[in-house]
Amino acid sequence: MTLARASRARRLVPVLAVGIACSAQAANDDALGWLQRAVQASRSASYAGTFVHMNGDRLSTVRITHVNAGGDETERIEPLDGPAIEIVRRNEEMFCYFPDAKTVRLDRRITARFFPSILNAPAETIAKSYDVKLGKSERVLGYDCQWIRLDPRDDKRYPQRLCAEVNSGLVIRAKTFDDHRHVIEQYTFTDLRVGQQVARSDVRSIFEARVKRWTTDAQPREEAKSVDTGWIVADAPKGFQKVTEIKRTLPGRPQPVSQIVYTDGVASISVFVEPNSAPVRTSEAATEEGTTTFFVRPMGDQVVTVLGEVPLATAQQVGRSVSRR
Amino acid sequence: MTQEISSLMDGELDHNEAGRAIRSCCASREAGDTWQTYHLIGDVLRGGKPHPTSTAERVRIALADEPAIIARPKRVYETTIGRVAIAAAASVATIGVVGWIGTQGGQMPASSAVVAGKAMPAPAVQPVANTTVVPPAALDVQDYLTAHRQVPSPESYRAVNSRAPAAAAR
Repeated sequence: MTLARASRARRLVPVLAVGIACSAQAANDDALGWLQRAVQASRSASYAGTFVHMNGDRLSTVRITHVNAGGDETERIEPLDGPAIEIVRRNEEMFCYFPDAKTVRLDRRITARFFPSILNAPAETIAKSYDVKLGKSERVLGYDCQWIRLDPRDDKRYPQRLCAEVNSGLVIRAKTFDDHRHVIEQYTFTDLRVGQQVARSDVRSIFEARVKRWTTDAQPREEAKSVDTGWIVADAPKGFQKVTEIKRTLPGRPQPVSQIVYTDGVASISVFVEPNSAPVRTSEAATEEGTTTFFVRPMGDQVVTVLGEVPLATAQQVGRSVSRR
Repeated sequence: MTQEISSLMDGELDHNEAGRAIRSCCASREAGDTWQTYHLIGDVLRGGKPHPTSTAERVRIALADEPAIIARPKRVYETTIGRVAIAAAASVATIGVVGWIGTQGGQMPASSAVVAGKAMPAPAVQPVANTTVVPPAALDVQDYLTAHRQVPSPESYRAVNSRAPAAAAR
């Protein structure tokens, strides 16, 4: 790390200013400070913009508006590709509007995370699984930006690079690499307004006024309450903490499916267990694209499905260690 | 024949002899090599930079001059297996089936040799813990992806419709 960058970083995070210029500890604190600002900013800042998400070879474009007023977060998400839908989130309550089906679906946020809110643990927790360092500073989207490098401490997860806007700390670009250093997932804003320019009215649903005649489906919200599914993951990789355990209704299945969710603060893993019904699965199978890995494994009269932003070996380790409590 | 080539190079042959020498020079590989070797000797004797003679040498030099390719090669199984696109989760969170990896005794059936009109070189796919690539099949990823990311998709309101009769029956 150059002295110039170190001094610039300290000037921007004065709380972390230290006396010894070249101390490795200081550099480490600096990096953690930047990471914590990034974690905070996606919740506490107000921002509006459009981002592009590339996962593997797939591209999607999403408009996001996020307002924090008095500690209450409101967020409006509009995917700009595909059928028109809209998601409005007030803290953990989610309202998903489907104008085509005239349905509003109520849910509670568990794993849903839209860029730039992709981190879901404090910096210290993330630092247990990732070596956190500062990268270069550069201009991105017209903003001065500081790269934060997250290198996994083991081979159970992917390296990340986050580009934090220096004034707000907001992540405005993010990249995930595989173990061959190829970019496999990327997010980037293509336009962005931060702070005072975003009004509270900007997060109001465009469908809310019409919704009275719509069908309201509150079942997802009911199902988001945590329950004991009777299943455990005996060998979750170090650093992955259980977030919740629920039973979800999935289309076409007579019984709700057990879902256990783990996260290391950056990547998350869902483990599903359900009866192995027709067509009966007899062997393990997997697919992956970008960071998304899907692994399925028959287990007696049940079938275990693992889906997460982790390497296949991690999904296998999780999926093969599922057993009855 | 070597004398003929030597004389040709030295300009000692008349029109007819030269024509014959040139034809024979191009007719056999041995004569061609001799022609090139004599030119190499001539180049060196004159103190110039020798011109590469053999094809292999020319290719080697041409390759050395090629720019290094630094773009990443596509992962083999992405390009060769062909994709079954799953229009998942309203484009926000999407996944494509890029391969189907059976991890228990997955012998590749003969029919899997050609998928989407392309040959599938199985050994090129990186194995993960004794995995073998078998043909992509209709892996129902979308429901799980929707549940995992909590991203609404048309499937989620289809679920509402399918539940409606059950609710009415209660």
